[in-house]
Amino acid sequence: MIPAVRSEFRKFFTTRLWWGMAIAIFVAGAAFAALFGFLLTSETARSGEAGVPTGDATQVASSVYTGGLSIGYLLLLTIGVLQIGSEYRHKTISGTFLATPRRLRAMLAKVVALLGIGAVYGLVSLVGSVSVGAVVLGLRDQDAFPSGTIVRTLALSLLVLGLWALIGLGIGILIPNQVAALLIGVGVAWIVEPLIGFAMSFWEFGREHVAQFLPTSATNAIVNAVSNGPDEVRLEWWGGALVLAAYAAVLAGIGIWRTTRADIA
Amino acid sequence: MTTTTGRPGGADSGRIEITGLTKTFGQFVAVDGLTFGVEPGRITGFLGPNGAGKTTTLRMLLGLVRPTSGTATIGGRPYADLPRPLESVGAALEATNFHPGRSGRDHLRVLAAAGGIPDRRVDELLELTGIPAAARKRAGGYSMGMRQRLGLAAALVGDPQVLVLDEPANGLDPEGIRWLRGFLKHLASEGKTILVSSHLLQEVAQTVDDVVIIANGRLVQAGPMEELEGTPGSLVQTSDAAALAGALRVADVTSSVQEDGSLVADTGDMRLVGDVALRAGLPIYGLRPQRADLETLYFSLTEGTNRNLGDGAAPVGAPTEGDAVTGQEGANL
Ligand SMILES: Nc1ncnc2c1ncn2[C@@H]1O[C@H](COP(=O)(O)OP(=O)(O)OP(=O)(O)O)[C@@H](O)[C@H]1O
Ligand SMILES: [Mg+2]
Repeated sequence: MIPAVRSEFRKFFTTRLWWGMAIAIFVAGAAFAALFGFLLTSETARSGEAGVPTGDATQVASSVYTGGLSIGYLLLLTIGVLQIGSEYRHKTISGTFLATPRRLRAMLAKVVALLGIGAVYGLVSLVGSVSVGAVVLGLRDQDAFPSGTIVRTLALSLLVLGLWALIGLGIGILIPNQVAALLIGVGVAWIVEPLIGFAMSFWEFGREHVAQFLPTSATNAIVNAVSNGPDEVRLEWWGGALVLAAYAAVLAGIGIWRTTRADIA
Repeated sequence: MTTTTGRPGGADSGRIEITGLTKTFGQFVAVDGLTFGVEPGRITGFLGPNGAGKTTTLRMLLGLVRPTSGTATIGGRPYADLPRPLESVGAALEATNFHPGRSGRDHLRVLAAAGGIPDRRVDELLELTGIPAAARKRAGGYSMGMRQRLGLAAALVGDPQVLVLDEPANGLDPEGIRWLRGFLKHLASEGKTILVSSHLLQEVAQTVDDVVIIANGRLVQAGPMEELEGTPGSLVQTSDAAALAGALRVADVTSSVQEDGSLVADTGDMRLVGDVALRAGLPIYGLRPQRADLETLYFSLTEGTNRNLGDGAAPVGAPTEGDAVTGQEGANL
């Protein structure tokens, strides 16, 4: 298992993708921290009007530090799709399974590697967001580290990125065309899900019992971000983590199950 | 390079055994009850026209495609059960199996990591296959010859006892093919088992020791190359072919007079032919060995059977093994 994981890391770090992604994630972390740092501490934000993102000092700080994740998790979704999709596209999957003919082991190595890659990029993102965010909050006379919850949030953001990479892995297997997989994955996370969330807000049952289980809402719950309005129903952080983990487990699980049985032609 | 001595399992670990191997894709029988063996220390050519089922067979041997029925083992075990597969079997499947954005060297490092093989071996191989400098560039820009060499290097990463190569000569220029021949012979002389597929008999005829010929997924011929080529003959130009034929018959050599007045004696012993002619007082204008015409032979074994060119109906009159033998005789062996 360890050799297979090492091989997966090498696959990832021997193409140009990784540092392009690293720069993007760092910049996203820093830029969203600056943006949220100013927006969430502005007069309107503190007024508590409906429709304006609100939260306590901890939630504000959490949002500032994890604002870049909305970009970050899409990038990790992309990485997850590519980690398997490019193997199909360039037919390197044959070599992978020749080296590790126990396919379940080969695929679990991908899971482990993607969780690791998620954590590494999580750190990259946090270096950008915490350094910039703390400065901005300081400028706005806000407490940069209002409670210990912040530490939990930062740690969990590493997990969030890994889980989104696994969701990508599953999508990448289930939709063999890499480009289609990327478009559908990103489209669902960024367009379809917000639309569903918006539709839910007009339907009381949906708003109270369904919307919080959507992957992005679960992600927001994990990192304890500010809410979009007083009506929003939120899972506990651990509930969000379980929900997101369930998405990752189901998608990656089905994908892996299929891969272990399919003919590689 | 290391030799095979001291390997667990000894030479036996290098035997490939295919038994009743069958693969159907829906209704389509791609490989049909194939049975043959491949011996260590020899180069075996695995031949058949396009679509005969060569690649499918090799992929089943390597555990990439699941057989519908039958077994394929290496040293008595299915590929997936080999404890350190890269150190037992090396495979080069297609020339396109590289990520275009990764350098050739990194491609090998990825494989080496998966097989628990030190990186030092990677650089050794790049030297051996003659691409140490180019291997640091991204594989997307490689020529066909480079890809084939990198594919071979990948197959050799674990210094395996068995090599499985799918059309390694594809896209190589004459110089590259010559290099490949020498390289394979060198590997076979180390006692390795080499199974190399091709759709051209002539391409591998000079290199292989054994041949396995399939058509429509079925075996049509398996055995040593000499057996396929049959008894060698000698082509003689003389003034009176019939008289020489008579003199040869006395010396227990059969022969046949050709349309152009030359004579084909059924012996490879040209000194004997010359001596008989001298004793008979017949002049010799030309004397050279004659081998079976491999191209004709190969066509006679596989012709009219390319189902990919037909309407996809079940191949009528596909050769059975009995037919194949007739075909062989018809090819003037
Ligand atoms: N996944 C698949 N689904 C359906 N048919 C397939 C599949 N893989 C192979 N075939 C068919 O099986 C037959 C054998 O294919 P295979 O690739 O093994 O032939 P081959 O001998 O390697 O030919 P070539 O010399 O062209 O490489 C072909 O007719 C091919 O169309
Ligand atoms: Mg083929």
